[in-house]
Amino acid sequence: MLIQAGIVLLQVLIILALAPLLSGIIKKIKAFFQIRKGPSIFQPYYDIAKLLRKESVVSENVSWVFHAAPAISFAAILTAGLLIPIYISDMPFDFAGDLIAVVYLFALARFFTALASLDTGSSFGGMGASREMFIASMVEPALMLSVFAIALNVGSTNLSYISQTISMAGIDAVSPYHLLAFVALFIIAIAETGRIPVDNPATHLELTMIHEAMILEYSGKQLAIIELGVMIKQLLVFSLLANIFFPWGISSGFGIGIVISLIVYLIKIVFLGACMAMLETSTAKWRLFRLPNLLSISLMLSFLALVSFIIVKGG
Amino acid sequence: MSELVFGSKIMQLIIALILVSTFMILGSTRLYSCVRAFGIQSFLLASVAGIVAYSTGRYEIYIIALLTLVIKAAVIPYIFIYIIREIKVKREIDLYVNISPSLIIGGVLIVISYYLIRSINIRTELSSFALSASMSLVSIGLFIMISRKKAIMQMLGILIMENGLFLGAISLTHGMPLLVELGIFFDVLIGVLIMGILIFRINKTFECIDTDMLKTLIG
Repeated sequence: MLIQAGIVLLQVLIILALAPLLSGIIKKIKAFFQIRKGPSIFQPYYDIAKLLRKESVVSENVSWVFHAAPAISFAAILTAGLLIPIYISDMPFDFAGDLIAVVYLFALARFFTALASLDTGSSFGGMGASREMFIASMVEPALMLSVFAIALNVGSTNLSYISQTISMAGIDAVSPYHLLAFVALFIIAIAETGRIPVDNPATHLELTMIHEAMILEYSGKQLAIIELGVMIKQLLVFSLLANIFFPWGISSGFGIGIVISLIVYLIKIVFLGACMAMLETSTAKWRLFRLPNLLSISLMLSFLALVSFIIVKGG
Repeated sequence: MSELVFGSKIMQLIIALILVSTFMILGSTRLYSCVRAFGIQSFLLASVAGIVAYSTGRYEIYIIALLTLVIKAAVIPYIFIYIIREIKVKREIDLYVNISPSLIIGGVLIVISYYLIRSINIRTELSSFALSASMSLVSIGLFIMISRKKAIMQMLGILIMENGLFLGAISLTHGMPLLVELGIFFDVLIGVLIMGILIFRINKTFECIDTDMLKTLIG
């Protein structure tokens, strides 16, 4: 019991500590590719610390939704963090929810952020919310399909179980559907973390921003919570990619093995971050109405993953 | 023997990648990226032939693999790029069916091919994955031919169909006799050259290579 509480506590601490670092590392790698010096990798920590010291300015016309939304989104994302294997594949909370719960916890966070941005009545908020929902309506089915392809393969939607089974199977787990679902989920990860072909995390240009437009009215502590939530979500999406598709090296139980497991995890996450940064540097942001093409490629790849699973296994 | 070859992990991976490259052609709006995806597809096809050659130990399949690599993955894409450059065509392809619906239709075609292949019931000797992939390549190639306006895309469509037939032939029979295979390669190459010349003529007569224009008669 005590060990399990320790595992959960450690997981939360790791998530909270690593999320801003990952953001900083991606920014640094991006700067490297653009031949800039770039901010320090610890800059996101400074930003959040600074925002936490500032007071929040809130419009007097907003309802309780505006005040509650940052807390609800943050809580939803952190709860999803308890279900995703990070450094240990045997999560104590795995009875509480599977990957469908994770998908919908993300959706809950997104829903409340969009609702809060509508609440302020600013035109940017409404624009951001409608764009976010437009993208979400295409991301969600693709996300579900791609993880279902893996769940079908393993025979369970439980993330701990998937991670354990694939890490045990070793290199044998690599198969067409595994590969296809990975590519599909990688495209989804770009959209979920608001990276360049979909959204530009660094922009404040009115016509192109999606996520930034939604949180435009927030300031101070509330903004800090939202920013941290977004970073955590990014870390979680990367962990999902890393620990579902190549979980090798993850520790299966609590012990000295978790140190190695953590190091391997860090390498995987930084590698994915570097891929993302490379992609962001080499592509231009797409027009909003071209995005359905990208996301339907992802949808089709996950569909192909399902079909090839049926053909290979059932044929 | 063939069950061993086509059931192997690496073979399945390559065949899945061939399907992905087909979707790259379906999903892109630029001529160059379509041609590049076709090159990748032909390269993957050559590696399928290479694996078959290695596992059966028949030297003529090595020759076929090499020919695929040289002709389909290098020469034909080069001819395409040459044509695109020479006639200074607009780089965007025009579509009758938009990208998202085409992708969905592509997925549906794959499912249909799978069910067609399954109903033939010749699965005893070989993996139905390779055969249904070849069937899907043929049908998606046909779909590309009827849904894209540019004459270059029609050329590409027929080459995708040919790739599908090649995959089917090599997965069913471990490749046809070398003489037949050589004849097919020669045909494909000459076909591409003739189609290229035809595209030049179309471009000269109509000032563009939209096949829409071909419907109207010129006296």
